[in-house]
Amino acid sequence: MSMDKMELAKEAVRAAEASGADYADARLVKLNVEELSVKNGAPGEADAPEEWGVGVRIRKSGCFGFGARPLVRGSEASLVREAASAAVECARALEGAMRAPTGWAENPDDGASHFETPVGIDPFAVPVSERLELLQDANAAMEGHESIVSRQAHCSLRREEQWQASSEGAALHQLLVRTGAGMEATAAANGQVQRRSHPSSWGNYKSGGWEHVLAMELPANGPRIRDEAVALCSADACPSGERTVVIGASQLALQIHESVGHPNELDRVHGHEVDLAGSSFATPEKLGGFQYGSELVNLVADSTVKGGLDTRGWDDECVPSGRWHVVKDGVFSGYHTSREWAHTIDEERSRGTARAEGWSSPPIIRITNLSLEPGTWDFDNLIADCEDGSIYMDFVKMWSIDQRRLNFQFTCEVAWEIQGGKLGKMLRNPTYQGRTPDFWGSCDAICGPDHWDLWGVSNCGKGNPIQTAEMSHGAAPARFRGLTLLGAD
Amino acid sequence: METVSCERLIELASKVVEASPAAETEVIWNASCDRFARFAASGPTQSADRVVPSVLVRVRVEREGGLSEARAAADTLDPAGALGALERALSFAGHGAVSSDLVPMGGEVDVPTRSADDSVLEGGFELMAGWIEGAISRCEESELLPAGLAQLSYGSRAIVNSAGRSVSGSTSRAAFALTASDPAGGGAGFGDAISQTGEDLNVARVLERAVSKGVMNRAPEAIDPGRYTVVLEPNAVSSLLLFASYQGLGAQDVAEEASFLCGRRGERAFSELVSLYDDAFNDFYPGFAFDWEGTPKQRVELVKDGVLGDPVTDRLWAAKLGVMNTGHAYPQPNTYGPKPGNLVLAPGEESAQELISGVKRGLLVTQLHYTNMIDPRDLLLTGMTRNGTFLIEDGEVTRPVKNLRFTESLVNAMASVSGVGKDREVAGALFEGEIVCPALRIEDFRFTSSTDF
Repeated sequence: MSMDKMELAKEAVRAAEASGADYADARLVKLNVEELSVKNGAPGEADAPEEWGVGVRIRKSGCFGFGARPLVRGSEASLVREAASAAVECARALEGAMRAPTGWAENPDDGASHFETPVGIDPFAVPVSERLELLQDANAAMEGHESIVSRQAHCSLRREEQWQASSEGAALHQLLVRTGAGMEATAAANGQVQRRSHPSSWGNYKSGGWEHVLAMELPANGPRIRDEAVALCSADACPSGERTVVIGASQLALQIHESVGHPNELDRVHGHEVDLAGSSFATPEKLGGFQYGSELVNLVADSTVKGGLDTRGWDDECVPSGRWHVVKDGVFSGYHTSREWAHTIDEERSRGTARAEGWSSPPIIRITNLSLEPGTWDFDNLIADCEDGSIYMDFVKMWSIDQRRLNFQFTCEVAWEIQGGKLGKMLRNPTYQGRTPDFWGSCDAICGPDHWDLWGVSNCGKGNPIQTAEMSHGAAPARFRGLTLLGAD
Repeated sequence: METVSCERLIELASKVVEASPAAETEVIWNASCDRFARFAASGPTQSADRVVPSVLVRVRVEREGGLSEARAAADTLDPAGALGALERALSFAGHGAVSSDLVPMGGEVDVPTRSADDSVLEGGFELMAGWIEGAISRCEESELLPAGLAQLSYGSRAIVNSAGRSVSGSTSRAAFALTASDPAGGGAGFGDAISQTGEDLNVARVLERAVSKGVMNRAPEAIDPGRYTVVLEPNAVSSLLLFASYQGLGAQDVAEEASFLCGRRGERAFSELVSLYDDAFNDFYPGFAFDWEGTPKQRVELVKDGVLGDPVTDRLWAAKLGVMNTGHAYPQPNTYGPKPGNLVLAPGEESAQELISGVKRGLLVTQLHYTNMIDPRDLLLTGMTRNGTFLIEDGEVTRPVKNLRFTESLVNAMASVSGVGKDREVAGALFEGEIVCPALRIEDFRFTSSTDF
């Protein structure tokens, strides 16, 4: 651990306290990103951004303030003090408009001070030429059909290092490494434009190293997604009406994100995100009794799970990571919380899900890794168990949900009709629409651990101004009865 | 908070270009000074005073067979940090593949001088605290729950390249938005305003709109989905038209056959009442006078009296297609091509009340929420109504209704415009961007499902 950077964080906290803060925390964040893409055989994006700055949050008379400054070599100490002073001035100017002080949960010291993502192959040590060669090979593997109008392959490496100190004595250092890649082929024919992707619509990202990218076998999957994109342009539209639907794991990951994760953010529940993102139907009186889904449905939040994009030591309020049920045996059983909000559901400690984008934004409650626990079914047996006319669909194409997270409509990249217990003809633009508790309540089968994987969301937007954050959702294919399909095209 | 002048950014950027050994180098340096405060019923909930700079360094280096291009960035005002970005860009380009697609960077240009005044930041949190106090008090009087955002920001940008281009400019923004919700779980009302200065911001009007709609919308009733004549207020219009700026109005979208312009250019595919252009120089909410390559932005007529025109271009796509560069580049290199960033929908002749008066039975829609695209060729979109949907009967707004989901193509919707408002506003949506637009009356707009509130 670099103590001089930790000392800067502590200096920011001291400066905030000296300016009148009742509480202060400071985060120094250094972020290195390397992104490469190849499009239609030519270099696409080749980008290597770096961020380095400090964010100081303070609490004064129950009112929060936040100041952030980029750090310039040789002026770091004065800049962290300037950020601290700006944070106090925010709160000082605004505290007169406060109606009620913010809550603030206790946060006992867990004794640890360092966390580092376990990494198999350091992604930043993989030569740029080797990364580009893989993307070129993936791109070339999608060649070979005149209807293909776009072929893209990409990879992304992120290394985020944080030094965090608080006026309660926290001094935490963490190093988070995230690695991902993906590819997509787009075909245009018969008045249709259709895309297929691998391993999912935006690729996949995990905490860890280059081993995740190698496991994707990008070039080997090129011909398949090329042919599927071309075939979709002449496929029938997915029918309308009520059907049994088996939803693939990567699509279910987004369904979890939108219809369980966001409504489960306790700041949102209390109306603090109404100005942009919205509120939630999952209000506190439902906790412990509301039937969120069928009894097969278990949804677990876990900021300690191996490979999760939000797997870390602590959140941005110095609260250690943890694991808890959000839905247990179908019953609504827990929230994502912060130190500000835990008391509103009679919990003494935060679940540790307050996070900020980089150094320049204040923390808000964010979804952590949130997963549907696997069931027992084998995928082939599940398909064989479906009646004729059932639909299997996967891979996110479009998503939309109302501001209380009840009415949703999703479109997948591809579907197949199930006939005779097997996947039959391909269908385009499969679109399903529903209401959150009805949807999860219709789940009657979930595939087993062999079909379960973590799917990364690297660009979740929330807050106002919008901040992005990353998290993962684990899922295996699952079956839903009587889902409403919409012939959207 | 000290803002960063354009002259300072030019000086910083020029030094990086001078230090670069690359065959071609471009440096874009931005500096944003931002103050914002969010609020809810309990008072201010979050606030921030922040300086957020970014420098993007793009290089092209000679390799066997041609040039290789790469970019690196840093969130810094530190010259050493920018030189670090230059090193990373050179390293990436040195390992990268040769691109046959590159068009030489553009040289010296005249860009209309337009600099915003950083006095927008004056008043700061004390000014915003007054707006917030007013909003909370007004909502308390009407027994509504407030939630909103106050923001004052100033941004400066300079672009310098090794071909002799050196441009700079600045923008300012003052914004205030209020959502006023029924505490019993009924409906809500919304109002917002965006301008270049805090003095121009009509906060009183924001409060009036949000609170009056919140009061009207306390107990919405369910209504069946189906086809309705709708009057979309400017915020709802922006949710639809912003999607055309994300997908469809750029030259690459057309070349990749992923645009509603494909097969329709030159045709009257929209109502003749609809004229849409991109204009960074509009009086309502001007943008930077140059794009991300430093090319002066042109005013581009995208739809004229319902007839669809040509897409916007950047240096690469202008060269590929042999047409004029309209100045709509985004930071290069990228995989998505040029996009319009300053859409303006031409005004019509009808007042808000006249738009409503022309409806036998229909819906007045305040906002659309979480709009997203199902298919690019017709720009088939879906999303929800939000913060005030009201039944119109015999030309009068009669009662609030519960929110509905629409699934409708932009092409169909714009073809079915039967009235255009004469008053325009700056309006945004959930995702990025803002446009200048009036309200629209649209016939046979398709709603496909409903929700519980």
